[in-house]
Amino acid sequence: MVLPITGLIIGIVIGVVFPITVPLEYAKFMSVALLASLDSVFGGLRAGIEEKFDNTVFITGFFTNALLAAGLVYIGDRLGIDLYYVSLLAFGLRIFQNLAIIRRYFLKK
Amino acid sequence: MLPIKQGQFAIALVCVVLGVMLAVQFRTTQDIRSSIPYQRVEDLSQRLSQTEKERDALINQVQELKRTSGAEAASKELERVRMGAGVIAVEGPGIIVTIDDSKRPSKPGENPNLYLIHDDDILKVINELWAAGAEAISINEQRLIASSEVRCAGPTLSVNNSRYSPPYEVRVIGEPTTLENALKMRGGVIETLQFWGIQVTIKKQDDVKVPAYKGAFRFEFAKPLKEGGN
Repeated sequence: MVLPITGLIIGIVIGVVFPITVPLEYAKFMSVALLASLDSVFGGLRAGIEEKFDNTVFITGFFTNALLAAGLVYIGDRLGIDLYYVSLLAFGLRIFQNLAIIRRYFLKK
Repeated sequence: MLPIKQGQFAIALVCVVLGVMLAVQFRTTQDIRSSIPYQRVEDLSQRLSQTEKERDALINQVQELKRTSGAEAASKELERVRMGAGVIAVEGPGIIVTIDDSKRPSKPGENPNLYLIHDDDILKVINELWAAGAEAISINEQRLIASSEVRCAGPTLSVNNSRYSPPYEVRVIGEPTTLENALKMRGGVIETLQFWGIQVTIKKQDDVKVPAYKGAFRFEFAKPLKEGGN
């Protein structure tokens, strides 16, 4: 648990120190990708607790989820449908589920 | 601590990426909030369409002028000049602003002058109205023209060399909403005046009648310049 938190802090520090900005029109993509990676992290934590963790599944899941989400947003933009909300809903739901499972493990212990 | 045995490194790696994304996204969102208020975009697009309408109207006017004969154009021009000079009474949509002295008694030790209307208060109102696109303004039946003065004359106000005491009625022709908003602007004229309890009422009206300038024009010193001179 210590390692992921340190990683998170390191990442935030890098992000704050380096003046990286996303163009405004890509901000939406970024937010969905952010949610996807948040979901991946919680999924990974859950798998780690359940001792079913698979490195390949985790890493590929992370990238495909982020790309798929961004792609959905892009297509939605083109078609004039807010597919954006679909990914928001799906990822949000999964984050809650994963968190609930993690919490149960924590309580059982 | 949670019993995570596997994948600590992979999760930590992803967490680094997540952290970077979080920081960047925070900054971007802040940029959006601070740099481009969405309202401004709407405002600009509205102004653009308005300007386009104006342009089209002007093009029409040019074509119309080209078609009509010279005499007709001249008489139209004369009408416009007379309206601009304020020598004919005009009517149209606009607002009527009534300004009266403060009813509030001045506190001991305070300057009672602060609670009275002065020439500069009226001037500020007039200035704001002209800036907001007013086409004709009168103060208590005196049409404001190029040579009008608004000046303190003891406890009264002198406009076109006629004296008036409060309340002052300012009749304005122009886009009523724009005029009203210009006066009621935050930190604007009315807010400043009302701080001292000076009573200002604004009434929107579909046909405001603004009287003509009643005086005569006398030019002793000025004479027209010869054509082509500078």
